[in-house]
Amino acid sequence: MQLSISKEDPQIMHVDLNSCFATVEQQARPLLRGQPVGVTNRISKYCCIIAASYEAKALGIKVGMRRDEALELAPNLVMTETDPPKYHYVYKKLLNILSSYSDNVVMKSIDEGVIDFHGTRQNINKRELSEIGYEIKTRLINDVGSWMRCNVGIGPNRFLAKVAAGLHKPDGLDVINHNNLISTYKSMKLTDIHGIAERNEARLNSVGIMTPIEFLNAPSEVLRRQVFKSVCGEDWYKRLRGYEVDQHSSGITRMVGRQYVLDIRRPSDEEVRTRLSYLCETTGMKLRYRGLCARGILVHVRYANGDSWYERKMFKSTFFTNAEVYRRATLLFNKRPRHDFEREIGVSCYALTPSNMSQISLLEDINKDVWLTQAVDQVNNQYGEFTITSATSYKSKNVVKQKIPFGSTQYFELLLKSG
Amino acid sequence: MDNTIQINRDVNIIAYYFRGKDKPNCFPKRMDIDGRQITFTETGLQHPTQKGKRMVHVFDMTDGKADYRLEFDAEVLSWKLVAISDSDHAAVY
Repeated sequence: MQLSISKEDPQIMHVDLNSCFATVEQQARPLLRGQPVGVTNRISKYCCIIAASYEAKALGIKVGMRRDEALELAPNLVMTETDPPKYHYVYKKLLNILSSYSDNVVMKSIDEGVIDFHGTRQNINKRELSEIGYEIKTRLINDVGSWMRCNVGIGPNRFLAKVAAGLHKPDGLDVINHNNLISTYKSMKLTDIHGIAERNEARLNSVGIMTPIEFLNAPSEVLRRQVFKSVCGEDWYKRLRGYEVDQHSSGITRMVGRQYVLDIRRPSDEEVRTRLSYLCETTGMKLRYRGLCARGILVHVRYANGDSWYERKMFKSTFFTNAEVYRRATLLFNKRPRHDFEREIGVSCYALTPSNMSQISLLEDINKDVWLTQAVDQVNNQYGEFTITSATSYKSKNVVKQKIPFGSTQYFELLLKSG
Repeated sequence: MDNTIQINRDVNIIAYYFRGKDKPNCFPKRMDIDGRQITFTETGLQHPTQKGKRMVHVFDMTDGKADYRLEFDAEVLSWKLVAISDSDHAAVY
C-alpha cells in the first residue's frame, strides 16, 4: 500500500497549556512571575518536580528531577505544592472556551484539549483556524488571567496538530499542512516526534531509519513487519502522512487502583499497613465513584534495593466496600517477601463489572456492609471526604496526598472532594 | 525557597462587588488585621472550591510585596486569611 501525503485542509486544533501547574501557580501568585518555580505533590526531602516553569526550565530543571538536584541548579527555585482546585478551575475554563467552537472537543488531559472542526467550520465559523487559535489565546487571558499562555497547533490529524503545538513553546501557534509537512519533519529529530522515545528510536534505528524524513519514507510493510511488528506500524505510516488514526477512545475502565511511594525510608510494618489501608480506602472510593465493583485484586511492592514483587487473585464474589478491598489486599500483602524495606506499594482492582450495590442480598451481613458504606459515603459527601475514615488509615490521612491525574481527568471531581 | 506561612484567621475585608459580563464579580480591596491595613493591588486567581457541600471562593491576592490567600465563605459571608507567601516582605509582620 502506497499513500501520498494527505492534502486535506487542516481542521484539527490542539491546545496545550504548557507548564500548566507552574503557570497557574504563577498566575495565582503574581510575585512568582518571572521566577523559577517547581511544583511538587508534597514538599519533602525526596520529592520530585512534576511541573517546572519556563524560567526553571531555562536553568536546566526538568520534570521528574529531584528537589535537591533542582536546588543545586537553581538555588532560588521556589517549590510549591499542588493545588487541585486551581487546576480544576483552569481546566473547566479551558474546556468552556474550546467547547464554544465545536461539539467535538476531547480533553486529552488536564492541560490539553483537541477540537475537531470537521462539519462545523463551514457552517458555523467560516473563519481561518489560525484566527480562532489567536482568539482562544486571548479568551484564556481574559477568562483566567494575564499570565496564562497556551500553544496552539493546527493540523490535518490529531498527531500533526500536537506536533504543531510543540514547535514554538511557549505561546506558539503553528499550522502543519501538506505544503510544510516535509520541511517540518526536516527540522525535527526522531525523538521530537510524540510517541517516539528511546526504545522506539532504537527499533527504528535498527532498520536504518535515523531521521523523521526516513521514517516518513519508510514503506508500510517495513514499519509493520520489522519495526513495530504489529498494526501500530501501519498506524504510524498513516499518521505521519496526516491521516487520522487516533480518533478512537476506549472509554472502558479495566483497572482501578492507587500506588504510593513511601514517605519514610525505613518504614515499620505498622506504618506500611496504615498507608496500604489508605490506598485501599481511596481505591474503594474510586470504584464506587465509577459505579463499579471488582472481582480481582493485585498488590505490588517495590523494595529499597530495586526488587519488586506482586501477587494477584481472582475471587468468586464481587466487592466494592473499603473494608473488603483492604481485607482482600491484606490477604495478598501478608505473602510478600520481607528481605528489605518497602519503597513503593500499590493496590489495583480488576475484572470490573457494573456495581450491584443497589441489589439487596439474601445474606443479611452483606446488606449491612452495603448500608454502612452508603451511610459513610453520604456523610463524607456532606462534610468532605475522610470525615469518617477507617481507624487503620487515619494516620496516613495527613501524609498521603492524592496524586494529580496527569493523563486522565475521570477522577478529578473525586480528587477535589477529598482535597 | 517558598516561605508560605499558614494563618487561618478570620479577617475584615472591604470588597468591591460589581456586575461582570457573565457573573457578579468581587475584588477584595483592603484587609484589616491586627490594627494594620493591607491594600490589595491585583487578583492573581479567583476560583471556587468545595468543602463538603459548602462552596468557598478562594482569592489569591497581592499587595505588591507579598501574596495572600483569602477564602470567602458564601454561606456565612465571612472572610478568612488562609496563608501569606513571601511573608518576609508582608506588611503584617
